[in-house]
Amino acid sequence: MKSKLIIAIAAMGIAVLFSSCAKVPQTEIDAATAAVQEVKDAGADLYVPEAYAALVDSMKSANEKVEVAKAKWFPNYSKSKELLAVVSQMAIDTKAKSEARKVELKAEVEAMIVEVKALVEENKALVAKAPRGKEGKAALEAINSDIAVAETTVTEVEALLANGDLIGSNDKIKAVKEKATSIKAELEEAIAKKGGK
Amino acid sequence: MFSIATIAISISIIIVSQKELPTEDLKLAREALTFAKEAEANIYSEKIYKESVGLYDSAMANWSRENDRFILVRDYSLVISFAKRSKKKAEEAREESIKKSVNLNNDVKAAFVNLAKKIELYNKLFKDLPLSKSVFDAHNKSKMFLSESKIAHENGKLKEAEILFKKAEIYVNHANVAAAKMLRDYFNDHSKWKNLANDAIAASRGGNKVILVDKFARKLYVYQSGKVLRSYDAEFGPNWMAHKERAGDKATPEGNYRITKKKERGNTIYHKALLLDYPNSEDKIRFAAKKRQGLISRSAGIGNLIEIHGHGGQGFNWTSGCVGLRDKDIDDLYRLVSSGTRVTIVGSVEPLSVITKGLDF
Repeated sequence: MKSKLIIAIAAMGIAVLFSSCAKVPQTEIDAATAAVQEVKDAGADLYVPEAYAALVDSMKSANEKVEVAKAKWFPNYSKSKELLAVVSQMAIDTKAKSEARKVELKAEVEAMIVEVKALVEENKALVAKAPRGKEGKAALEAINSDIAVAETTVTEVEALLANGDLIGSNDKIKAVKEKATSIKAELEEAIAKKGGK
Repeated sequence: MFSIATIAISISIIIVSQKELPTEDLKLAREALTFAKEAEANIYSEKIYKESVGLYDSAMANWSRENDRFILVRDYSLVISFAKRSKKKAEEAREESIKKSVNLNNDVKAAFVNLAKKIELYNKLFKDLPLSKSVFDAHNKSKMFLSESKIAHENGKLKEAEILFKKAEIYVNHANVAAAKMLRDYFNDHSKWKNLANDAIAASRGGNKVILVDKFARKLYVYQSGKVLRSYDAEFGPNWMAHKERAGDKATPEGNYRITKKKERGNTIYHKALLLDYPNSEDKIRFAAKKRQGLISRSAGIGNLIEIHGHGGQGFNWTSGCVGLRDKDIDDLYRLVSSGTRVTIVGSVEPLSVITKGLDF
């Protein structure tokens, strides 16, 4: 009777032993989690939102896989580890994409600032050539004020850029560019009409 | 025999203890969260979306905790409950987000139309008023914010578009309210102007030519026998809305005057000119009273040399208070009128209600 009891306890012991023999891949989990956080800190959720969302989803999926393995009597984390390695690599790629997008965006904004500044100068020169006849001067006063607002906004864009707000500066400079371009068209049209008379 | 039975029982325990895992529920919750995020629920249904994320995180934390327990006593019911609730909330957030973004999109579009109307009102009614620089700048800033808002809208950034059009709205309202007040104040004198104009037109009924100048309409009319004989575009001084009170105020006087002298080319730098008898007796009385009240500085003079002259057609109010006409128009008027012709200058013949008809004033 005593020996039978010992065998039963031994069987249970073996079962318990097996259920805890494989360790949770905590190092891999921590590494992947840190990598995802690093990507977020780099602003990937703003600059490459789709890639970042896919990364977050993969991380969640990997965590679920770890728990699925952990729930078994005989856990096997090899697939989870593989997935976590994929997530870590994805994080590196996403961060690189985000950095590349930032560099690209910064260059775009800087180029647009140069372009808009040139447009502002062109507009100022065109104002001097524009007709001052009927409606002319009043319209020119309005245009001068528009040019002044555009100039102020370019300064604001430069401040935003210096603070690292690439998206904000990009949106703002696009609006100024549109404005400066429309002013130029308006002035050129007025000058062309004057020339045609 | 006993050993075989023990192993069989152990295997049975293992099989029986393989409880249903919450894998599928968590997968569904995660997918629902992804769809909600795609619908920008984190922006348009922030509260519900956050709840859903919290429930998913709780499900995962609970699952991990249960998995740390001895296998036979694990209970995933709470994990499943959290996961199901997370999925439900994520779906709710997605629906709300779609609905809100549609509504916001409509609101933004309506705001664009409304703002465009306000900008149009400014351009039609206020643009030529002698407004302060702050009003002028506010109007231009509103246009810039509206442009930015439209770009944000085109990029699907509705929240940003909303913030920007609200800024545009603040500026356009500031400009329009200030300009509207200026205009209403100006028209306080309309009944007086109406009487002056009616009187002038009546004076033309005997066949005399009478000049009626409408500052707001920027027109100079020549009346004869109660009818308009000629009408010309006119320009004034930059402070044209004010009634002339003193020298150098760049205002154009209002009231009844007469042509005292006709100046041919060579006698004026403005092509041709018709000198008026400003200041008349009323102007002198008013000037003296204001000086006594300290409203006009002691050293100020009343001013003179108010004329109707040429060099007009510049498209803005550039004179020092005179009435500027195009050279061909002053040529025509010069032939038409003589010294002694009555000149009545009013702020506006039409009342404000007629001027603002059809506009959302």
